[in-house]
Amino acid sequence: MLEKIRAQKTLISVLCLVVTLAITVTAGIDFYQFRNYQEVIIPGEGVTGSFMLSEYLPALEGTYGDTMVYVMEGKTEGPSMLVLGGTHPNEPSGHMAAITLVEHCTVDAGTLYVIPRANNSAFTHNDAQEASPHFYHIQTASGTREFIFGSRATNPLDQWPDPDVYTHQPSGQSLSGSETRNLNRGYPGVADGNMTERACYAITELIKDKEIDMTVDLHESSPEYPTINAMVAHESAMELASNALLDMMLDGVQISLEPSPSTLHGLTHRELGDFTDTLPVLMETANPSHGRLRGATNEELVLTGKDPYYLKAAENGYVWVPYDETGVSIEERVARHLTGIHYLCEEYGTLYGKTLSIVGIPSYDELFNGSLGDYLN
Amino acid sequence: MNLQLITFLVMVAIFMLGCFLLKLPVSVSLVLSSIGGALAAGEGFPVRHFVEGTFSYIDTILIICSAMVFMKVIEASGALDALCSLIIRKFHKHPALLLIFIMLVIMFPGMITGSSTAAVLSGGSIMAPVLLTMGIDPVSVAAIIAMGGLMGMVAPPVNLPAMIIGGGIDTPFVGFGVPLVLLAFPVAIFSVLFLGLKSVRQMDYETVAPTLNQELSSQYGFRIYLPILLLVVLMCLTKIVKVIPDVGMPVMFLVSAALGLFTGKKIKVLDAVQEAVHTSLPVMGILMGVGMFIQIMTLTGVRGFIVSVCLGLPEQLLYLAAAISIPLFGAVSSFGAASVLGVPFTLAFLNGNTIVTIAGLSLIASLGDMMPPTALAGIFAAKVTPGVDSYTSVLKRCAVPMAVVMVWGLIFVIFSSRIAGLIG
Repeated sequence: MLEKIRAQKTLISVLCLVVTLAITVTAGIDFYQFRNYQEVIIPGEGVTGSFMLSEYLPALEGTYGDTMVYVMEGKTEGPSMLVLGGTHPNEPSGHMAAITLVEHCTVDAGTLYVIPRANNSAFTHNDAQEASPHFYHIQTASGTREFIFGSRATNPLDQWPDPDVYTHQPSGQSLSGSETRNLNRGYPGVADGNMTERACYAITELIKDKEIDMTVDLHESSPEYPTINAMVAHESAMELASNALLDMMLDGVQISLEPSPSTLHGLTHRELGDFTDTLPVLMETANPSHGRLRGATNEELVLTGKDPYYLKAAENGYVWVPYDETGVSIEERVARHLTGIHYLCEEYGTLYGKTLSIVGIPSYDELFNGSLGDYLN
Repeated sequence: MNLQLITFLVMVAIFMLGCFLLKLPVSVSLVLSSIGGALAAGEGFPVRHFVEGTFSYIDTILIICSAMVFMKVIEASGALDALCSLIIRKFHKHPALLLIFIMLVIMFPGMITGSSTAAVLSGGSIMAPVLLTMGIDPVSVAAIIAMGGLMGMVAPPVNLPAMIIGGGIDTPFVGFGVPLVLLAFPVAIFSVLFLGLKSVRQMDYETVAPTLNQELSSQYGFRIYLPILLLVVLMCLTKIVKVIPDVGMPVMFLVSAALGLFTGKKIKVLDAVQEAVHTSLPVMGILMGVGMFIQIMTLTGVRGFIVSVCLGLPEQLLYLAAAISIPLFGAVSSFGAASVLGVPFTLAFLNGNTIVTIAGLSLIASLGDMMPPTALAGIFAAKVTPGVDSYTSVLKRCAVPMAVVMVWGLIFVIFSSRIAGLIG
């Protein structure tokens, strides 16, 4: 009898082990493939050069923190702008707006620098418990393109463990430990810091070295978050941002302007203004796919922004954007970013007498009523 | 009935069936419930999501495992008995003050790590023998330790639920010190006196003295305390004065445990480690199961459904909803509750003072560590206290202090503006 029970126990143990191994291998292959997935960006004729961010910090070379910087130089001299997409890869409109610039636009005067995958490491994983899709797909003339929906933060495989408390350098501000992997909490960066701080440092050095006049950091936030459909500007960029904002509103794009809080450190709109001569502006659109009130999490939500629970929340007055059953499509979100960039360039010309002339940015209405795929290669 | 409600009911039903009817371990029930939820929602068998969810608690699991090894080592080396004897000898004449002092010792690791588990497993395990020797019954001792863990997690300088909620609305962790002191310390003092004072007043030192092991300290001298001292020093150097890089709690526990092998009675290392892993395995399993459970809730939309139901209540009931739903969601994770529910509720209460509101909600969120099935503070308090068979008795004993926590937190949330005005 005893032997029978022992044999049964052994059998169950072996069975558990086999099932565990099978699940581990299946999931392991999935994670490995996702980490090493090569997202395709097809540069358009406007791209005149490119280099890796590690040129500004060799310690990044060969790591997942290194990323491509696209250069779009105009025929004539003019001001320069850096566009940061993919600071948070779970906010796809920033990533896609940057890619649209690289693939579809050209520059007549001035220089545009674009980093579509600012936190490259964060594109290699998803956040646990967020159940995000790995990819979303967009129809283009060349076929169906696949883009990565990543994480808000650097992959723990590249930077682990998190401290209990993240202390920002040089301000000494305390944030929860996981923020140590948030690119937009690490500026101006630390040369010998962790991977995230290093990437921030390299971006800051790039801005200093190229004497970049404007920096636009593209984001999305949950509809229940007050800073949404908004520009956040450093005090040095306030006049520029407010002029651009008026232009957008005259175009019928509802948007607000917020000053960069002086007590909130590590963000582009604060630190790049304090530590470099660039005029930093951060833009936010609405993204229900990473909000806390969302229903089923899937690719459709990422692309359409349609969600029954956000609809309910809107009826109860808990969202800060106009929200109805039409959702907030990726086209609308990308259009907001691109329109903002367009008017920031124009108003820079008005204020400083030199215009960064980007050709081919689709108008808000064109993109809102059309398809994003029409502007991708 | 919408799909999310059906999925939620399926998940709860499978969990209850597994736990109570089939008597399966909680962790296995959570896994089965997750699988059932995914199937009910038409998501098939999403292996990636099952595994991804379990990664949420890797750091916590390492802390639990290494802390358990430390605890077993200092127990076997005699350091716990020696310390207990020393404290009772020195302070037995002032039992009320001694109780408060012990509470602060239990809270300290939680205050600097933000983790109730770290507080219970280090401060709690060290103080358990002292409290027992003072004549407090085991269940009350475990209850004191659990409440100490909770209040340590809330008290400044580190309060992770507050940081998580603040991070969700871009509020830096600045200006939280006074509100958190006012929230945590009065409740901590009330809890320890409520649970222990009656028993300690009846303590007769003459009766207790012969039970104290005074030979250990005379045999090994000061060195027997070195592992505990090293742990305290490492915590202070990395988290308060920050003169050395933060090597993480698991390393600190293991280094201190390694020192404990040479400072007291001889220890069978393999036995101690095996016992430690064996003791903590069920909780580690629960945490993995919980991670999977939340991931499937998010994938299927059940998480959004729950948040939506809570926020959909009439305005007058929102405070009550926060006080009930945040601790209840804490049954899966108090940090998860802070993020998933704490942030939306904070946004709903934005007409008050944001910092005091977040601080109040963080106190309420701490109760999540007492909610089954995870109930990390309750479970580990029961484990580190000899003579406690089940953590449910600990939870029952904590009912009054927990109610005080809920009411105190709610007062801060409701009157956040006035309180902010009073404390400047």
